[in-house]
Amino acid sequence: MSLQFAVEGVAIGLAVGSIYALIALGFALLYKATKILNLAHGELVLFGGYLAIAITRALHLPPAGAFVVAIALTLAAAAALGFVIERAIMRPLLGQSVLSVIIVTLAFGYIVRGVMVGLWGGDTRQFPPVVPTGVVRLGDLVIPEVGIWSALVALVLLAAFTLFFRYSLWGIAMRAAANEQMTASTLGVSLTRVFAYAWAFAAMAASVGGILIGLWLGVNFALAQVGLKALAAAILGGLDSIPGAILGGFIIGVLETVVGGYIDAHVAVFGVSLQGFKEITPFVVILLVLLIKPYGLFGTEHVERL
Amino acid sequence: MSARPAGDFKTTYAADMALLDTRFYRVGFVLLLLALVAAPALLGRYLFFLNTIGIFAIGAVGMSLLTGFAGQISLGHAAFMAIGAYGSWYVTSHFGWPFVAALPLAGAVAFGLGAVVGLPSLRIKGLYLAIATMAFQFITEYVIIHTAGGMGGNVVPPIKLGTLQIRTEAQFYYLLLPIWIVSGVFAANLVRGRIGLALMAVRDRDYAAQVLGVDLLYYKLLAFALGASYAGIAGSLFAHYNKVIGAEHFNIGLSIDFIAMIVLGGLSSIWGPHLGAALVILLNQGLRLVTPYIVEVLPVLARAATPLREIVFGALLIILLIWEPGGLAMLFRKLKRTLDLWPFPH
Repeated sequence: MSLQFAVEGVAIGLAVGSIYALIALGFALLYKATKILNLAHGELVLFGGYLAIAITRALHLPPAGAFVVAIALTLAAAAALGFVIERAIMRPLLGQSVLSVIIVTLAFGYIVRGVMVGLWGGDTRQFPPVVPTGVVRLGDLVIPEVGIWSALVALVLLAAFTLFFRYSLWGIAMRAAANEQMTASTLGVSLTRVFAYAWAFAAMAASVGGILIGLWLGVNFALAQVGLKALAAAILGGLDSIPGAILGGFIIGVLETVVGGYIDAHVAVFGVSLQGFKEITPFVVILLVLLIKPYGLFGTEHVERL
Repeated sequence: MSARPAGDFKTTYAADMALLDTRFYRVGFVLLLLALVAAPALLGRYLFFLNTIGIFAIGAVGMSLLTGFAGQISLGHAAFMAIGAYGSWYVTSHFGWPFVAALPLAGAVAFGLGAVVGLPSLRIKGLYLAIATMAFQFITEYVIIHTAGGMGGNVVPPIKLGTLQIRTEAQFYYLLLPIWIVSGVFAANLVRGRIGLALMAVRDRDYAAQVLGVDLLYYKLLAFALGASYAGIAGSLFAHYNKVIGAEHFNIGLSIDFIAMIVLGGLSSIWGPHLGAALVILLNQGLRLVTPYIVEVLPVLARAATPLREIVFGALLIILLIWEPGGLAMLFRKLKRTLDLWPFPH
């Protein structure tokens, strides 16, 4: 493995990983506040990407201006969608078994996907050239500029949410609700409102991820799979840890590009080359990590008492 | 257990353990069996519904043992089905094994592999376990794509029983039906006995169960192995029914669908997986059949036909689960209770 290959792989891996990190952040955020695993998260990511692209294209403004307006509108729409999900779907199911709730989020994902395919068709869609799509060169290193942007956004959101959960009243209420719903409710935390905000935040984080993916690769329905990979990243970091989710995203991005890329190209078992191993490298690693740390890298360890 | 008519007391242990404990259930079960036997004559060209439901119901029964009764969430159920299907394909097409030998083999291989895949469940729990099994799902898909020739391209030889070759839907149905019934009854029997009680104890609180003398290693692995072997048998049947198998038939989507089936049917119910499989397949395939007619009436919707199906499917799932989070089995129980007490509310 030449050094060049490794360094470039890490750089690209971090860029890819930042997108996983952003999406994983949404999973962790929602799980932290509501203990719900949202299987529609991949669809919410696509929703953000598609909507932002559609708005940018529809507006007759200078491209950069249209893009900024599109981001604002998309985030507002995502927040509204989050509130709607909570009110219409999640509230009637408050307190029901985890699996029922998970399947409901899955069903909601079907609806979102159906609506999006109906509105925008199945082709890959891209932003009009609104933002610099060039590359940054550091010596021999070539990194797509979007990758740097998404890494920055991920770090900013990480800082924002960490501060939010630590210091703001709402953040503390959310952590209390996650810790013990009944007790938090008795102490005056409005569970429904906490859940509504958690859904809105999660949808907004997903939309940001979708917009960044849209800038980089364009959005396409095959990308719903990204949601599963981000879920794996969230699990790797520990499902209820936001820094863990971000770190998990970066780890998976790097592993996939460097280790997966290396095995893909250079390793053969019994003379059969391991083509495409890249896609499953993260899962193999997660399996190994979970065997050593069953609650992920930073997840709250569950101490069981009888 | 169930609501019982006044004056109908259980006076023996055998009566207490009976699977069909009231006349309603005994008569109902006989009628159901008669209807199932007569189904090919009644359904005609729609018999494929029942064949598909039967195959997936067998898989869902395994899922229900593992997730509903033993409480281990798995996102790798389709992988076990794939292993059964490909195992069955390999021995029938390469070694010329008969179907009657390939079917148990598929179950046995999946059983063994299930026990291996179940090993992490001793350390990893809940959603973390779900992701660990998802890793197994993706690894299996990868191995299949890179060894068996990938997408859509493995032709499975038709089933031969002695000199009879299974060709039509009805022939396959009469082959499937006994397997379906036996596997359903087997699971029901398992659940009411020592094994089932142990699995439920593990589900409710695994360490507490261990303190009470339930061997966690044995029962968790048994749950995985049993669940997997049901999936393996379903996979073998699917391979011979569909006649062509590919990695895309057993993807993560199917694993998730299995969870949807048992949740919609009702977790921890012996009828749940059958009802859930029927519901999911009827909705899915039924909407596929119905949409052309809707498009004929309302040509405006032509472009939206496929997405419309997804939207309706999703919306129906949500409505059902909000209406009755316990699934169809609970819905039937409530309906029966209401009818028993009618016209009084309580």
